[in-house]
Amino acid sequence: MRLQHARVELELGVLSDRDGPALLLLHGLGGSSADWGELPAAWPGRVFGLDFSGHGGSQPMRGGVYQPELLAGDADTALAEIGPAALAGAGVGAYVALLLAGGRAELVPAALLLPGRGLAGGGPQPNWDRSPVEAIEQAPSTPLPPGCDARCSALENDPRPPAYAAHFARAARRVLRFEDGTPRPPWWAAAGGDAVGGTIGDALHALAIAAR
Amino acid sequence: MAVPSYPGAVEPARQAFVASGDVRIHVVEWGDAAAPALLCCHGFWDHARSFAVLGPQLAARYRVVALDARGHGDSDWAAAYSWATHIADIVAVARWIGAPLHLIGHSMGGGQVVDGARALPDLVRGVVNIDGFGPPPMSAQDEARTVERFSGFLEQRRAVAARPDWRPYGTLEQLVERRRAQNPRLSREWLQYFVFHGARQAEDGWRWKADPLLGQGAGPWRPDWIAHGYARLQQPMLAVVGSEDDTWGPLPDAIVGPRLAGVPKLTRATLAGAGHFVHMERPRETAQLILDWLEAA
Repeated sequence: MRLQHARVELELGVLSDRDGPALLLLHGLGGSSADWGELPAAWPGRVFGLDFSGHGGSQPMRGGVYQPELLAGDADTALAEIGPAALAGAGVGAYVALLLAGGRAELVPAALLLPGRGLAGGGPQPNWDRSPVEAIEQAPSTPLPPGCDARCSALENDPRPPAYAAHFARAARRVLRFEDGTPRPPWWAAAGGDAVGGTIGDALHALAIAAR
Repeated sequence: MAVPSYPGAVEPARQAFVASGDVRIHVVEWGDAAAPALLCCHGFWDHARSFAVLGPQLAARYRVVALDARGHGDSDWAAAYSWATHIADIVAVARWIGAPLHLIGHSMGGGQVVDGARALPDLVRGVVNIDGFGPPPMSAQDEARTVERFSGFLEQRRAVAARPDWRPYGTLEQLVERRRAQNPRLSREWLQYFVFHGARQAEDGWRWKADPLLGQGAGPWRPDWIAHGYARLQQPMLAVVGSEDDTWGPLPDAIVGPRLAGVPKLTRATLAGAGHFVHMERPRETAQLILDWLEAA
């Protein structure tokens, strides 16, 4: 279905329409709701997959301001449509899920943070040795897929201070962090909550329990 | 209605639109197009005509270009705004000018020209920052409200879909009064000129040209980051404040002083009798100050 976030039209897919609690999936940098494959079948209820602005079937943003807080506005537009929902986000979508789990705690019973592209952003503080415009004009670490707005590469350079993330972690109801032994960026530990392991399907099961 | 005039305000000699990505930036110019250039960047909610008296004073010796920041004046509206995209617009216009230049900025624009200069070390020769030294430091209370502010930001974003533009005002004078209530130091005559160019008239009334989305922002940025950028400015900076207390500044020197302390090539000046809008309140004295500084360099 099509949704309107301020001046941008977004695509929200219904990936599973089983009766039960809602789950909203937030993809990583350069991805789309098609990334989730068969995973929605592991959730005991309705599953929605959002395409962030500049990605998949959603429109690019005129002016090209790609920031996690604005992507959280995309996801909040989806929550306005579907009502309370657990969140699972990968990469930049994990950081967005943490922001929204704090900023919309009344609508988000639990959030699952998964690794993926755009997880680290630009690190814990700005790179003081360059002008802010260089952070949005720097080429991506690897090319973004066709169909993704090239300016989304800014999401590899926005600062994500742990102390900032900690505010949202404290306001959130439940946060689950998926751990598989690979390194995580500094904001990740500040997200607090509980570590979950196993397969992503196992983590989704833990999310369903946490969201009850 | 008749176009208002104001003593000393000169109609621009030229105007143009400069592409900055998918946004068009409107610029106006005074002075000889072949002279060395000054690029003027206005403050939040203002527009290029804020330099309509200062600019012509500088134009005797310089090509004076003033831009409308995106979302302001006659530049395009965007889907959202950020500090970095405002800098990108300054960079785009400086490259369009295409020759060594100085940047002049007021308030928000004063902070932005510092980052514009840092992005263009080979093109920008120096910056004039007129009372653009950032907001006060974040208090512990502000800090504690981080999530609350973000929730408010989400609410604002939701509201835009329901009401994408301003409600119209019946007369231009009502807009003038709104602005006057916020900036009591600015004269009615100046605001009649300035607000006219910052508003548009439709069949149902007058609206601000400035985008209602402009005030919306969220993120981890903190005022204590300002000094880090200032300390890495290679070009000379002329830092100007007015002597008078005003709604929007100047900040106490106990705050501004440490922010400026790391600027390698700094000249500070205080303009007597001016509040925050130094270049609007005292355009001739501001022009002389800038010309003297440019001359000395």
